[in-house]
Amino acid sequence: MNEVFDFFTINLASSSIRLATPIILAALAAALCNKAGVLNLAIEGEMLWGSFVAIVATFLIRNQTTLGQMHPILATYLGIIVAMIFGALMGWFFAWLHTRHHVDLVVLSIAINMLASETTVYLMRVLFKQSGTWSDASIVQLPPLSFSLLNRIPIVGQLLNGYNFIVYASWVLVVVLVIVFHKTKYGRYLKAVGENPNAARSVGISVNKVQHWALISSGAMACLGGAFLSVGHLTLFTRDMSSGRGWLGNAAALFGFNNPGGSFFAGLFFGIADAVALRLQNVTKIPPYIIQIMPYFLTIVILSVVSYKARMQKSRNALH
Amino acid sequence: MKNKQIGMKIVVSLSAIMLGILVSFLLIAPTGVSPYKAFGVLFSGAFGISGKVWPLWITLGQATPLILTGLAAMYGFRVGVFCIAQEGQYVFGALMAAWLGVQLQLPPWLLVPCIMIASIVIGGLYGLIPAILKVKLGVNEIISSIMLNNIATLALEYLVAFPLRADSGQKAQSAVLPQSIWLFQFVKGSRWGISFLLAILLVVITYVYIWKTPRGYELRMVGKAPLFARYGGVKSDHVILRTMFIGGGIAGLAGCLEVLGNYHRVMTGFSSGLGFDGLSVAMLGGSHPFGVLLVAILLAGIRQGAQLGLQISLKIPRELGGVLIALIIFFVAIENVYRPYVDKLYSKLVVVISKIGKENQKTREVQ
Repeated sequence: MNEVFDFFTINLASSSIRLATPIILAALAAALCNKAGVLNLAIEGEMLWGSFVAIVATFLIRNQTTLGQMHPILATYLGIIVAMIFGALMGWFFAWLHTRHHVDLVVLSIAINMLASETTVYLMRVLFKQSGTWSDASIVQLPPLSFSLLNRIPIVGQLLNGYNFIVYASWVLVVVLVIVFHKTKYGRYLKAVGENPNAARSVGISVNKVQHWALISSGAMACLGGAFLSVGHLTLFTRDMSSGRGWLGNAAALFGFNNPGGSFFAGLFFGIADAVALRLQNVTKIPPYIIQIMPYFLTIVILSVVSYKARMQKSRNALH
Repeated sequence: MKNKQIGMKIVVSLSAIMLGILVSFLLIAPTGVSPYKAFGVLFSGAFGISGKVWPLWITLGQATPLILTGLAAMYGFRVGVFCIAQEGQYVFGALMAAWLGVQLQLPPWLLVPCIMIASIVIGGLYGLIPAILKVKLGVNEIISSIMLNNIATLALEYLVAFPLRADSGQKAQSAVLPQSIWLFQFVKGSRWGISFLLAILLVVITYVYIWKTPRGYELRMVGKAPLFARYGGVKSDHVILRTMFIGGGIAGLAGCLEVLGNYHRVMTGFSSGLGFDGLSVAMLGGSHPFGVLLVAILLAGIRQGAQLGLQISLKIPRELGGVLIALIIFFVAIENVYRPYVDKLYSKLVVVISKIGKENQKTREVQ
């Protein structure tokens, strides 16, 4: 009994929240795009670029500007903002290609993902002469935040306290997206465009504008998730750092039926699976590969169920 | 008309390659090496014909699995399924070959075909999974194939580390296959061997299958006009499943041939992004078997030249090759942006060429 209790410690819970954060951000990015009727599979690549840009920008701001030299933590925050702007620009570029030139987003995404994984390693080798991992001692990690209000609540407070800015930002984003989806004009437009762009266009909704904003904000969110990997969690960049988290985010968005809340819990679920796998690896003698396979396997199973349900729903709607 | 379309396709592919090279010039700049020199070295590292083992032979050897995975991806494109599970199929084909090659005790002439068939079957079955999920349940095939690739890679790591492990040495690897079933290599140490001929044979068979048989006609119809196909009485689900099985089988064979002809065992890190390269090959090759053949050799050359030429002699990271390939795909993806300009240029070119042709005719008539 004691072992079981040890296993499910607060530690495990907080590590699953940490592991879940980039997946949740990717899932929110994917859900927003899916709602707007643009399948954005480049989130993996955007994340990878985001993590690279964040750490490089942090490094440059920290060492090249007087502001960064005086306030190292501020440099990290600025680096994250630079990464988000970069992601937004990338999203804008996708939107421009897609709406103006009718570029196929699936093919573009494949190209972007490849480009991201190759260029980041190439630039790391050219600029920093490192082939696998790069980090610099001058870069400061995002500090954990602590809210005294939360500290007063016994267990939950301990569980929810002490993460860095990006974790809380992801939670806030979930709430913001729920409000945007359900309470604003943009949310209604988004729904209309996603379900039937022609009908939306016929009532005077600018499909282009809606899709532009969806792609831009999803790019920024994906890069925020990437920044969490490089300067939020650790302060280093490794080759293919996103390692499939963007794809898991795409899958999580589909689990959650493209709702922000659903995507959040799906992403959290992946995070928990990851954390349990890591823990089991330490505690038991089960080969790590078998545990690592589980999330992917579960993804396929759950995706099948979700897609089947969605299809049934569709055919039922068609009957009425 | 058809000639013009094919001509346009080739022109677009060529301009994508040119644009890719131009952008990579910019990326070479920070290394301080002259881009012309870099590309010269890249080319000689890829297609050079000097030295003990000509780089060209190595490139052809490297191209072999690419041709096959490219063909596999092409089958998916043709039938309208954007499947990228070639990596997983390749891995399982290779695992099958490494396992059976050690376990089965048969005379070599019987053993080799048995292994190949087993690899094709397991690759095909693995290819069926995303197809069934797509057709029956409507699961997005790209996401399911990414997951399947990850599963296959992890399965390989597990199998190589535990059940198939040959020795307790540092590196996790399976036992070496008996030498009697190694496939012949034309030039020692070049990886260029019988497998290459088999790949070419499959290119031709694919061409005949898709364009000269009723089943191939069904396949193209389902891919291009699914509603029309259904109206014409084609069972499109059935056709998709059949095609994905064939594609998966070819990718499985690619893994099998790599084991039999090249590595003679499987080890950790055996799969290294080959699936995505196959996808790129199919995209750049215009989903045509002969295009796949040419592009596979070109891409293998770029990777090879980047490794042998750039990294070793100029100290430019070999990832530049990958960057170049990714850039080319990027420019193919966004062809709509620059297509009008290329179109204009192309029609001007056609006019000029036909003028020259007419003048030549006139002068000949005068003479």
